[in-house]
Amino acid sequence: MKKVLLTTLAVFSLSATAADFLGSSHNWNNGSSDPFKTTVASAEKGLKANLSASMAWRDTAKMISEAKKLQASGKTDAALALAKKAHTQTVNAAAQTAAAATAGPRF
Amino acid sequence: MKKLLTAVVSLGFIAGTASATDVEADRKAFVGFFNSIQPNVEFADYTNGVYAYDEGSREQFEEILDGIPPYESDVEKGEEEFEKFGMGNCAAFKDLSTARVNYPYYDEERKQVQTLESAIKECYQAQTGKKLATKKGRIARLSAYISDQAAGQKINVKVESEGAKAAYERGKKFFYAKRGQFNMSCADCHVYNAGKKARADILSPALGHTTHVPMYRVKWSGLGTLHRRYGGCLKNMRAKPLAALSEEFRDMELFHQAMSNGLEITADRYRK
Repeated sequence: MKKVLLTTLAVFSLSATAADFLGSSHNWNNGSSDPFKTTVASAEKGLKANLSASMAWRDTAKMISEAKKLQASGKTDAALALAKKAHTQTVNAAAQTAAAATAGPRF
Repeated sequence: MKKLLTAVVSLGFIAGTASATDVEADRKAFVGFFNSIQPNVEFADYTNGVYAYDEGSREQFEEILDGIPPYESDVEKGEEEFEKFGMGNCAAFKDLSTARVNYPYYDEERKQVQTLESAIKECYQAQTGKKLATKKGRIARLSAYISDQAAGQKINVKVESEGAKAAYERGKKFFYAKRGQFNMSCADCHVYNAGKKARADILSPALGHTTHVPMYRVKWSGLGTLHRRYGGCLKNMRAKPLAALSEEFRDMELFHQAMSNGLEITADRYRK
């Protein structure tokens, strides 16, 4: 029992040291906590669905591409803002897709 | 329990009947709406599209037609190309007097709407082994030449089979569905607001849109097919344009042309 306890404590201790050594910049969640990556992934997923319904908006793909360029050039705030706009477009296009199912004349 | 079941089945039958495709009823309601917004415009005048609505534009249009219309040389070239590429060898174009009015129709074997341009494209490929672009240039010239031979005949799209009705209903939904960043449908401009101004242009009525296709547009400085125009409209609404001859555009053309049944096809294909 004593040996097990010692081994466990040793593992915890080593893990904590390693974590401290890597510092706070390390991405422990493999990107999932990066708001830009998450937003772009959502926008791309939404756009794919819009395209398959033939309801995509004209500029969404361009906005996603532009956001990636901004991110790569270090303009992270602008990149995130644009990615959010692109994602909002895909959400609105999805709403149009749902409404299109019952579209018809108003007369 | 039996009574309840009968009632439910009856209700289902009534609902099914109510939603059944009735092209003629749709067309009458469509024409009726245009009559309600422009009571002084005769039905036959919708062949002239937007020029039925605006006197000033009509005068300009007639002046252009009195001279040498800018598309005339393209139509002549279309005739030369028709002969050069042996388009008359294809069954679809053996009798040019009926070629235009046979389209669009629903092809039961392919389970797809065939349009005049899809037939031209196939014929051209069969005759030359080469592909043909779908929106402008040669396909539009050939289409204009073929359509000219039907000038004066009336559009008479038939939607009879179940497959045709399904395609028509899909096309109708596409026409009335809002899309793009502007959240507008084809009908928002070309039905509900037809005759009103959008910036400097008068919105053309959807009734009669298909009488003069392919059209010469000043904006294009040339001829273009109906599907080129569809793509342009989507782009204007900030929606991603679909490809010419896509399933969606074929279905919409079936609906769009059927709404103009009874209107004369015209060779006056000039539009601003």
